[in-house]
Amino acid sequence: MPPKHYRAPGKKKEGNAAKYITRTKATKYLQVSLNTFRKLCILKGIFPRVPKKKFEGNHKTYYSMKDITFLAHEPLLEKLRHKRAHEKKVKKAKARKNKELAERLLNRMPTYKLDRLILERYPTFVDALRDLDDCLTMVHLFASLPAVEGERIQVKRIHNCRRLSHEWQAFISRTHSLRKTFISVKGIYYQAEVQGQKITWLTPHALQQVLTDDVDFNIMLTFLEFYETLLGFVNFKLYNSINVKYPPILDPRLEALAAELYALFRYVATGSTRKPAENQSIASTEEKKDSDEKMDTGVNESDLQLAQLQHQLPSNEPGALMQLLEDSNNDDDDVDQDTIECKTLFKNLKFFLSREVPREALLFIIPAFGGVVSWEGEGTPFEETDEDIAYQIVDRPTQGHKFLSRHYVQPQWVFDCVNARIILPADAYMVGMVPPPHLSPFVDDEAEGYMPEYAETIKQLQATAKKNVMPLPDLDNQDLADPQNLIADGVMDRTQANEAAEERRKLQLLEKQYHDELKMEMSGITYSATLSNKKSENSGSEEMQHKDEVVVPVSTEKNDEDDRAKLYMSRKKRGLYEAIEISNQRKKDKVAVLKERKRKAAASKSG
Amino acid sequence: MGKEKYEESSSDEEVNSSSDVVEASSDEEVESSSDEVEASSDDVESSEDESSSDNEKVEESDSSEDEVAPRNTVGDIPLVEWHKDEEHIGYDIKGRKIKKQPRKDKLASFIEGADDPKNWRKIYDEYNDEEIELTKDEIKIIQRVISGRTPHAEVNPYEDYVDWFEYEDKGHPLSNAPEPKRRFIPSKWEQKRVANLVRKIRAGLIKVSDQNKEEEHNVYSLWTDDTDSVENKKRGGYVPAPKPKLPGHEEAYNPPVEYIPTAEEINSYELMYEEDRPKFIPRRYLNYRSVPAYDKGVKESFDRCLDQYLCPRTRKKRINIDPESLKPKLPSRKDLRPYPTTCYLEYRGHMGPVNCISVDPSGQWLASGSTDGTARVWEIETGRCLKIWEVGEVARQICWNPSPDRPILAVVLEYDVLLLNSGMGDIDIQTKMKELLHISEPGATEDAGDSKSAVTWIQHEKHDGIRMKHFKAVSSIEWHFKGDYFTTVVPSGDSKAILLHQLSKKHSETPFRKLGIPVTAVFHPSKKKFFVATKKFVHVYDLSKVEKIQKLETGVREISSISIHPGGENIIVGSKEGKMCWFDLELSTRPYKTLKVHSKDITRVTFHRTYPLFASASDDCTAYVFHSTVYSDLNQNPLIVPLEILRGHKPEHGRGVLDCKYHPRQPWLFTAGADSIIKLYCH
Repeated sequence: MPPKHYRAPGKKKEGNAAKYITRTKATKYLQVSLNTFRKLCILKGIFPRVPKKKFEGNHKTYYSMKDITFLAHEPLLEKLRHKRAHEKKVKKAKARKNKELAERLLNRMPTYKLDRLILERYPTFVDALRDLDDCLTMVHLFASLPAVEGERIQVKRIHNCRRLSHEWQAFISRTHSLRKTFISVKGIYYQAEVQGQKITWLTPHALQQVLTDDVDFNIMLTFLEFYETLLGFVNFKLYNSINVKYPPILDPRLEALAAELYALFRYVATGSTRKPAENQSIASTEEKKDSDEKMDTGVNESDLQLAQLQHQLPSNEPGALMQLLEDSNNDDDDVDQDTIECKTLFKNLKFFLSREVPREALLFIIPAFGGVVSWEGEGTPFEETDEDIAYQIVDRPTQGHKFLSRHYVQPQWVFDCVNARIILPADAYMVGMVPPPHLSPFVDDEAEGYMPEYAETIKQLQATAKKNVMPLPDLDNQDLADPQNLIADGVMDRTQANEAAEERRKLQLLEKQYHDELKMEMSGITYSATLSNKKSENSGSEEMQHKDEVVVPVSTEKNDEDDRAKLYMSRKKRGLYEAIEISNQRKKDKVAVLKERKRKAAASKSG
Repeated sequence: MGKEKYEESSSDEEVNSSSDVVEASSDEEVESSSDEVEASSDDVESSEDESSSDNEKVEESDSSEDEVAPRNTVGDIPLVEWHKDEEHIGYDIKGRKIKKQPRKDKLASFIEGADDPKNWRKIYDEYNDEEIELTKDEIKIIQRVISGRTPHAEVNPYEDYVDWFEYEDKGHPLSNAPEPKRRFIPSKWEQKRVANLVRKIRAGLIKVSDQNKEEEHNVYSLWTDDTDSVENKKRGGYVPAPKPKLPGHEEAYNPPVEYIPTAEEINSYELMYEEDRPKFIPRRYLNYRSVPAYDKGVKESFDRCLDQYLCPRTRKKRINIDPESLKPKLPSRKDLRPYPTTCYLEYRGHMGPVNCISVDPSGQWLASGSTDGTARVWEIETGRCLKIWEVGEVARQICWNPSPDRPILAVVLEYDVLLLNSGMGDIDIQTKMKELLHISEPGATEDAGDSKSAVTWIQHEKHDGIRMKHFKAVSSIEWHFKGDYFTTVVPSGDSKAILLHQLSKKHSETPFRKLGIPVTAVFHPSKKKFFVATKKFVHVYDLSKVEKIQKLETGVREISSISIHPGGENIIVGSKEGKMCWFDLELSTRPYKTLKVHSKDITRVTFHRTYPLFASASDDCTAYVFHSTVYSDLNQNPLIVPLEILRGHKPEHGRGVLDCKYHPRQPWLFTAGADSIIKLYCH
């Protein structure tokens, strides 16, 4: 008896068996090891498919036959074979204790380039931007990893990742295309909009990262290899689009002070204003200057010298920087409303970062929204004593010496301002205070069905900022301006304060009613029902019970109606309907849990 | 001989040279030399002859031994120098001196040469100091040698190879075995070249650059403006990886209080299955500086990598639809009124679950049978219990005779069927009934041989009726619409499972054989048709011909009851898994519509006789009322609308509503519950 899927010899395969191939067969077909196959798949972006019929069993991985033939013609495959052969040679030399040969062979390991692959995978630039999320997250992660010899994470690669991530951040900051930021437990999320594509990435917190054993770094490094190349090309294209020469030449002095990002800003800002024709010459002069500086520092590394240089260069720097930025602002008229809004958020505001504040994140965000920032340390644009500083970002229990002219705020204030797109009152974010809850800008509260309290407050503040005054936000402002405080300030006298308090109480009542109504509307209770509700509320608990009794049959009736309709549905539709219902119910349950927790928390606070 | 043939041949360089050499030879020796030549030529001739005859001889002629030994014996010495001044040129074999030939002067020899036509073939042998005249064959050999051919024309250099010895692969002309390494001869030239290169490298003339450091910033403008979307289309099968989920409020370092689970909730996560357990537990840090490094950061990134190259990707269409739009548009219930909606009356009195009810054709009386061993008759409008029969056993089914002038009740007990006079109607009817329900001699009316053992008709003394004793347990009874015939079903009766009885003749027969295990049997309301439901099928018989017409496939697991539409072309079938099937007999043998109505067994389905209503009762304590319009137009499918769920019965021992019946004229529904109550639902 022939096997189940018998095919006469010489007859071609048909259907799914012709379209798909299992992984084992694919490796045999390509004559490569599984590791090489994996690497090829990662680099070429080939992924398993789901055939309509899994002809070799359910537990196997299937690849599209087209993809595999695509791989078979890949020049990279041959390169990898060469590499493998070369590695064997090295191994052999080492085994024979021929160190010299081994070293020489190691030095001429065959290399390959991925540029062609990138173009193949992302034929247009927008495609590349669309897939940039994972790339950025990975590069940022590796930029913060320690180099491990055993895991083959080389220092060179980590430095490359750092460079690439800084270049990317400098571009985003320069073009003011950062849109949202979020401090999560996992790290800091950023969302930028480049050429209409929303790109979100995660940077780990600036702390020593934890390396776990259950991670195969070979795979990650293969991914990283591709991502590094991709990000390099993307950066090149982006820098070109703003007329900056790409491999940026940085001020080595700043680089040495670990302020690469600032160095990049300076480079980008100066480079972007020049015409591309001039670019070359200026770059060369800059290089010269750099080399001069290098020599200087090489010859004489005394503090005095450094200080002198500092004064020489950045004396006019902040102002000049602003000037340049403004100039370039006038240049591009075709920017959208969003960008303008982002550009002007921190305009004409000076920030100063205290020593303990994570510098890189804020150094990236504040200029992205038009602010000027400095920090404690060498080579900074301005000193802490600068009188124009409006906000000083502090993250310590108490601040010793305080300048009266500036606000001392916690870092979260910057992130919240950015998400809200308004300058929030800094009172709640003062030093030593527990800041208000930090909310994710990626959540659509209305779709979720639950809006946290602080989100509402921010919404009202936004509305006031837009002068689009609703009846309630007004009250909230007064809320903030607590009459007790005002008394303390001596602005009001006692009677006025009393009046204000009275007014406030009234407004609070109104507000409460409004909110209740809103909630009711959301939960789907009709107006008549609410009327009865109100009555019951007024008349007391007895009628409440009565109302409950009334409500119960109504709900069963509704259920009956549902059942009636469900009866008549086809099985497929009924399944779908039930699935939707279940998911809706889950959502509702979640919201209910949140509300319950909140109620309890409020109760425990008051009680 | 052939010497004369070369006379006219032209003079050559050879000839000249020979003539030059010949100069010195003397006349005396000519004869002897000519002898020699003759001898040699003879020899050649003979060999020629022999060669033509045989190949082996040719080989022999090649050997030098057969040649005439040279006259001189001095060996290989420089003759010209050593014997320049001697009289002799050497010694013969006996040691005698061989005298030099007298030298001719050049002129004389030239004249001699010019006269002699054979001069060109004469050569001077310095060793023997004589002149040799070459024969024609010798000339030929010389010419062949000069032109690079074999000396003898007879020799074939390309003879067929003959395999003399046995060896492996004898049949193959060539071997494709790879060249063994021992046969490799290293190229000297290459060795020299390598040595040269090494020397140059050592001297620093050639520089070896081991590192290509310049590749670091090897980026260029990869995407030019002309990258169009045509190339995009090439990768039609490409599915981009889905983007990772964006973080919600709960992932913030400082989330709102309500997002942080309480300690109990966190503990309860431990009890969950690992898959259900939330992967991320929100925590609150009071300031940014206290946020630690995320310990799963690398792992999560790694997992994402794995997802990207290991997870199969497909495009799935997510439908974002309003669930309400999935609901079918049903006609408004208001338009389909009247139908039973609310409980109007309860008939209480039974002491156990009411198994069965039946409504009198006039619509006045309701009969019920219960597990408490009684059958009762109630007045419908008042709920008064009119009559009680103590039947002594569990009443399984009860059924009024559909004919108005025969107020007879049929009650099914375990093995017996009782035909009772209900006592309704006027005196005429009562007298008729008494006659009808009288059996003079027990068992006398049975004439069919087969059914003899199946049923015995006996007079029931206590209740003044007939007792039909079956051979096995009876499950159901059904009257013919005219009221004379009725059928009982004995599920375990094999070939006698379906019994047809005639009341007027007190006669029984078993017309149907070879059935499965029948569940219930029903008469057609107007035609001579008969429906038998087995566990999974409904068989339709023609009663006049006693043959099967149709077999309906229900597709349910176990049929519990069936009911025929008053029109007779539609049936509903209730099953024990809570499904109800509607059959249109003219449409198909498969259900037109299957409704999953109840969560538990359907105990009874029933049609209303006049209104377009039907109902189902189930053990889940509910009864469902449906609207069903059957159109006379064959092209239009019947309209089935679920109308109402009737609740009210309480479950007892896992059973709910046991029976339901419609009022014959009003849109009222009676339900009998396991809680020993009968309920009347009115519109």
